Amino acid sequence: MNIGLSKSVRYILKPSWLTGPIFDKELRVSSRRRRNYVLRSAYLAILTVFVVLVWHTMVRFQGAAAYRISQMSVAGLAIITTIIMFQFVATQLIAVVMLSTSISDEIYNRTLGVLMTTPINSFQIVMGKLFSKLLQIILLLAISLPLLATVRVFGGVPWNYVISSVCITLTAVIFAGVLSLYFSISARRAYVVILKTLFTLGIIYLFIPIMVVLVSQSFVPTIRQPLMLFSIVMLPNPFVVMQFNTAAMMSPGAVGIMPIPLSWPIHCVVMLGASVFLLAWSMRIVRRVALRQATGQLDLATKNRKKKKLSLKTTKSEGQSGLIRRVKGSPVVWKELRAPIIQGSRKKNIIGLAITIIALLITYAVNMKEKLLDEDFTHIAYTLVFVIIGLITNIVLSATTITTEKETRSWPILLATSMSDWQILIGKAVGVFRRCLPIWLLLAGHLILFITVRYIHPIAVVHLAILVTWIVVFLSGSGLYFSARLKRTTSAVVANFALALTLWAVIPLLLGLVATITYESDILEAYILTNPVVQTVVIMDGAGGSHNATRNLSRLNYEWPSPSGSNWNSIRSTTSILFITMLIYMSMGLLFAWRAKCRFRRNIF
Amino acid sequence: MIETKRLTKHYGNLTALVDLDLVIEAGDIFGFIGPNGAGKTTTMRILVTLLEPSSGQAFIDGLDITKKGKEVRRMVGYMPDFMGIYDDLKVFEYLEFFAAAFSIEHKKRKSIVEGVLELTDLQSKGSFTVDSLSRGMQQRLGLARVLIHDPKVLVLDEPASGLDPRARIEIRELLRELKRMGKTIMISSHILSELEEICDHIGIIEQGRLVFSGTMEEIRQRMGVQSKVRVQVANNQQRAIELLSALPEVQDVQSTGRYIAVTLDKDQNTDGIIARVLVNGDIDIVSLEPQQVKLDEAFLQLTKGIVH
Repeated sequence: MNIGLSKSVRYILKPSWLTGPIFDKELRVSSRRRRNYVLRSAYLAILTVFVVLVWHTMVRFQGAAAYRISQMSVAGLAIITTIIMFQFVATQLIAVVMLSTSISDEIYNRTLGVLMTTPINSFQIVMGKLFSKLLQIILLLAISLPLLATVRVFGGVPWNYVISSVCITLTAVIFAGVLSLYFSISARRAYVVILKTLFTLGIIYLFIPIMVVLVSQSFVPTIRQPLMLFSIVMLPNPFVVMQFNTAAMMSPGAVGIMPIPLSWPIHCVVMLGASVFLLAWSMRIVRRVALRQATGQLDLATKNRKKKKLSLKTTKSEGQSGLIRRVKGSPVVWKELRAPIIQGSRKKNIIGLAITIIALLITYAVNMKEKLLDEDFTHIAYTLVFVIIGLITNIVLSATTITTEKETRSWPILLATSMSDWQILIGKAVGVFRRCLPIWLLLAGHLILFITVRYIHPIAVVHLAILVTWIVVFLSGSGLYFSARLKRTTSAVVANFALALTLWAVIPLLLGLVATITYESDILEAYILTNPVVQTVVIMDGAGGSHNATRNLSRLNYEWPSPSGSNWNSIRSTTSILFITMLIYMSMGLLFAWRAKCRFRRNIF
Repeated sequence: MIETKRLTKHYGNLTALVDLDLVIEAGDIFGFIGPNGAGKTTTMRILVTLLEPSSGQAFIDGLDITKKGKEVRRMVGYMPDFMGIYDDLKVFEYLEFFAAAFSIEHKKRKSIVEGVLELTDLQSKGSFTVDSLSRGMQQRLGLARVLIHDPKVLVLDEPASGLDPRARIEIRELLRELKRMGKTIMISSHILSELEEICDHIGIIEQGRLVFSGTMEEIRQRMGVQSKVRVQVANNQQRAIELLSALPEVQDVQSTGRYIAVTLDKDQNTDGIIARVLVNGDIDIVSLEPQQVKLDEAFLQLTKGIVH
């Protein structure tokens, strides 16, 4: 009896009961993947660059020793907050990407059913997958610890801030990772999981809180304390809690403003609770899928297809054959248009689009009630949302168009047809454009609606058309190139995202830091002119709002961040800037597309 | 119809093909066999223009595959050793997609697709999604796809792998039908007995080198393999063995239970001599079956089992 009890205690004390051999296997595999070492090196390199630049910005090696020492604590504060914010954002993104294939790989390689024939249970499968990836992320967090400890010596940052920030980061990472793992059970492709996870996080963290506050303010006037409501709905949002935590450290007086302080321990408990719930749900589904696979039944992903097949039999017996779509025009374009944007049925996509339009109309109603629809900033926000969603969709769809064929092994078969490489390339590019079209049509609809009611100047259509044209050509070209160059869809999507982020976020940030050091901002301002977000803001700032909508063209004023001595505020300058940017980016896009074509027949298998 | 001259392919340090010289006549079924990693698939991929040779030349119907890629693809139907499928496409749509990819006119496509569906016995599956088909059905669909543009040459890489016996027989019959239609077929398979039944010519490749190419008859001659005859007698088996051992054409005689296995020196018809000797010796013959050399035996003798 005692021996049995001690055996049980020893078993529970050993961490291996939690994950089983899955954890070992995952670590073994990940140690053989070069990309993990590349990720760590890149992470450390980016972190170091940021720290060095912040250090140079904050600390001046001139003046009295006392001044220099006082500057060090300011620099320490800036560096630690930079590192913490960088880690906070980067590790969440990495968790989403890392766990995006965690279960789908096992399902589609048909190893999940095999695992079920061993003593490993679904709890160990899910925990093993989660912990093995979390360990990689914790390693990334640990890399920065020596740096944090060293900088902490300069003073300025209390330990409890460092600890609370790490806790917020960890719980946010766990939640994002678990959500990604959950979606990876039902979606085969990593990019679908990544998009679904980011979209869901956006809804939880941003859309629902904003809608709750806006709708309650507009339609439920009995709510007297919107700030209290705000602090309640924002409690599960790690970005807000982190911001609040940092603000509280910088200026402790700010804490008193909130009626219910955004307490980080409560936030962490909420996030962990949500993660545990989602994990339990995931285990349930994983077990079901695994048992189906082990007993030779269809898995969850193919269940719907089975239903479709059965329904086809029924319709066939009734003599109906309208379900088959005939190929018209270019076969490649036709095929691209058959693929749903997000995996799932066409019906689901239509429902998603309908919900989006309804949500959009609700925001219009709220803004109309608040008399905000005639303001320029309202249309800047709307246009920015459309452009950013369009950007993301274009980045993803263009990067998946060839790699998905490689993954389903239909690429060599397509290349063995008599279609020329140019025909395939143009077909793919047109397919990407047609699939992204609904988003650009929403933008066009928004513009036409508010031009009609004179809240936006008609010239905005021309300027935004130029902007959208180069965005589409450039991102489609780069996406096709990465898709032709790389074998995996996830790698191609990540590469296309990385290119966009580097061009439009990382380089401006670095140039900004360099400008602060050198007091020379001309390069930054010239470069930032070509940024799609900046261009959107400037276009809508100049042409949005009722005060601009009725103005004569010559009286429209665009506030470009112009290099010293130049004045580029006129419509002529604006059109020229947009046109030159379009030429540059379209040339790059076409160059990428040409390179993609050159790579079609290399490394096909 | 198909010709390669000193065809060589390197993958980095690995040499997959070495100076491969191959000739396949029009209307022939050419069986291409070899151990895993021998270079069969590489040869086929080069012939269908999906890989570029490191050196050497290959011609399909006189066209250089490296210079006239598009024209070559128009006259070749390639079925790889995997089934590349498009999710969510139905069988009819899948075939029509490839018909369009081969620039077949829109108005002709429907009848062509229906024709190949009938030929491959898939008429009832037109509205099923491709990924819902069984493995055997998918293989048939693969064959239907390669026939969609009516190519002169079919390059089939392991078309019968993973199929059940019934499906294999059906594929074999389909290939015979295609031969009757005048197609030149290059086929690789690990099921040697099947190749033996349908192929006019055999090519055996190992470590990227063609170790043999010719008819089954030429294989036997090349190997110098003796013919074997299996004899069953009704009485006095020991006496029969003595009589047969005394014949100068006979190299070896062994008793294998009810039968007597006779190994002859040459590949010639000596059945008559055996029958005459036994009848003259008052031995009643129950059966006398000539045993020809099998392709798998030839394969084992001609190859060393070495892979890259």
